[in-house]
Amino acid sequence: MPAVLNGSSIKAKSEEAGVAVSVKAVNMVYDGVHAVRSASFDLEAGKFLTILGPSGSGKTTLLRLIAGFQRPTSGEIFINGAAVSAVPPHRRSIGMVFQKLALFPHMTAAENVAFPLKMRRNDARDIPARVERYLDMVRLGGYGARRVHELSGGQQQRVAIARALVFEPDLLLLDEPLAALDRKLREEMQLEFRRIQRELGVTTINVTHDQREALVVSDEIIVMDGGEIQQKARPAETYRSPSNAFVANFIGVTNFLDAQGGERRAIRAEKIRIVATRAGLAGTDTIVEGVVVDAIFEGERVVYEVRVASLGDALLRVFDHDPSAHSQLEAGSAVYLGWAASDVLEFKP
Amino acid sequence: MRAAKSAYPLTWRIMDALEAFAAFVWPARFGRAIPWLMLAPALLLVGLLVLGLWQIGDASLRTLDTSTFLMSETYTLANYRRAFTESLFAVVAWRSLAGSLMVTAVTLILAFPYAYVMVRTSSPVIRKLLLIALFLPFFIGQVVRAYGWLIILGNQGMVNEALSLVGIAPIRLLYNYWAVLFGLVQYMLPFAVLMLAPALTAIPEELEAAAGSLGADWVRTFRHVVLPLARPGLVGAGLVVLTLSLTDFAMPAILGGGSQDFIANAIYDQFFRTSDQGLGSTLALLLVATGSLLVGLVFTLFGAGTLAMGRARQ
Repeated sequence: MPAVLNGSSIKAKSEEAGVAVSVKAVNMVYDGVHAVRSASFDLEAGKFLTILGPSGSGKTTLLRLIAGFQRPTSGEIFINGAAVSAVPPHRRSIGMVFQKLALFPHMTAAENVAFPLKMRRNDARDIPARVERYLDMVRLGGYGARRVHELSGGQQQRVAIARALVFEPDLLLLDEPLAALDRKLREEMQLEFRRIQRELGVTTINVTHDQREALVVSDEIIVMDGGEIQQKARPAETYRSPSNAFVANFIGVTNFLDAQGGERRAIRAEKIRIVATRAGLAGTDTIVEGVVVDAIFEGERVVYEVRVASLGDALLRVFDHDPSAHSQLEAGSAVYLGWAASDVLEFKP
Repeated sequence: MRAAKSAYPLTWRIMDALEAFAAFVWPARFGRAIPWLMLAPALLLVGLLVLGLWQIGDASLRTLDTSTFLMSETYTLANYRRAFTESLFAVVAWRSLAGSLMVTAVTLILAFPYAYVMVRTSSPVIRKLLLIALFLPFFIGQVVRAYGWLIILGNQGMVNEALSLVGIAPIRLLYNYWAVLFGLVQYMLPFAVLMLAPALTAIPEELEAAAGSLGADWVRTFRHVVLPLARPGLVGAGLVVLTLSLTDFAMPAILGGGSQDFIANAIYDQFFRTSDQGLGSTLALLLVATGSLLVGLVFTLFGAGTLAMGRARQ
């Protein structure tokens, strides 16, 4: 095996295959709960897919089905063209980073990374060099001899990534490993995942409830709710044209306007302009009057909550993205809101 | 007055009075004495034990005069000489030592899967059944249980009755070494399971799933992940079983029928049959020494396990 850090060997293998993961009409029912409902999707080799959804949406169950920890009630999962439902996890070529990392506490960082190589009976002479290379890749060179509990949270994350990738799996699964980190470290690790994934070109499925993470790291996003796939699209497309009200509500800050003829209409918070005088709204199609209920200063933006009488006393959320440029509107002040008709999202019931 | 009453109810006043009384009887500055006070009963017990050991040590150095049945006035090592040279004691010592080691090994092997299933099963019904099955024998004392085995395994017992139905002549199942070991294993099993269960609970299930996804089948997951992480539990359970069976009295006495004495039975005989306090004390001290040596050996080889308590390093 040549050096893999440029990812050439993996890329070559996956590009031939085309579709790396194919989920076909998968259902999962346990204890009377329909956790996954006729889920179907294809994932191209080398892509980074995020399954996004609230807790209980079935996203983790879907991931565990792909990993092989559970067998689907019906349907089939194909990895590189082969049906895998009957294949136990240890015979699948899948690296997984667990929610609680699941590092082996009785081993050092290097022993953790060497574990899959030993279990897969790699040549023992090659193991130390390969472990070193992957520890370098996650920027933990020289930390191999440390025990797991001697490493910081971020360092443990990196060990878990190295351990999941060191045996060059066909597929990398991430089960919300970043959920427990503080925000700064989480954002840093998101970029780290992205960098490593691009570097190795390994097909990746990430599960999260963090919409920001999904938008930042993914090539594609699947939004799940109630066990069903709601939408599968590129991040920008998911954001710009959500397929239904759930997706619109789950990603971004969305204001639902009155329903017209059974259709639900919505407008994103950042698509609404807010001004104190009507004159500032030239070029907008819809103008409504409202009263500021609350102004929340968030640093880089101000979030206004505005009550609009003409929309049935609806409470609209509006962003001001340049709060330092002018004085903040006070609660109680009368304002005008305006937006373009083309920015209104419409959903069939 | 109603408002004032609800603002400071009678029950509060009573509590205040009680607190004032408590502060009078036991002022706060006595607080530092509380830990010592709580330790006092234990310290007293250990102190008495040391005193007893001192007495036993003294007795072990005196021989019994068989004509007067009095202990000798002068110190001598004669009892230790007898204990180490007479073949009877060597046989008994070897029997107890080998027996307790075998019992420990078998008990741990049987207890591990039991504890594992009890901890890992997703069915609360199965967990409860396993717990009940474990605790029921606890409520029946050791002696009663041994007698139960006499009834089941005796020459006219249930097992031999069943065998005679299929035309097999009665087999002598009791009063041999294996009957004693069998009884001991059965007696020790709950102790071992109860010591193992917390250690297994402490191993996150996700670690086993992780080992699977990294390419380990269940055998290798068990060997490389579960077993090493269960070591503290195994050491703790092993030590308890080892010391309890090494010093056991009832099982060898009842299931061995006098032919399979362990050290404790030999000591009993010296004290209560031949009334040789000296030799009995010698044997008792040697048993204490052997037990301590074994425990020390395990501690140095495997660490103190769950018995170390406190913050064990991982």
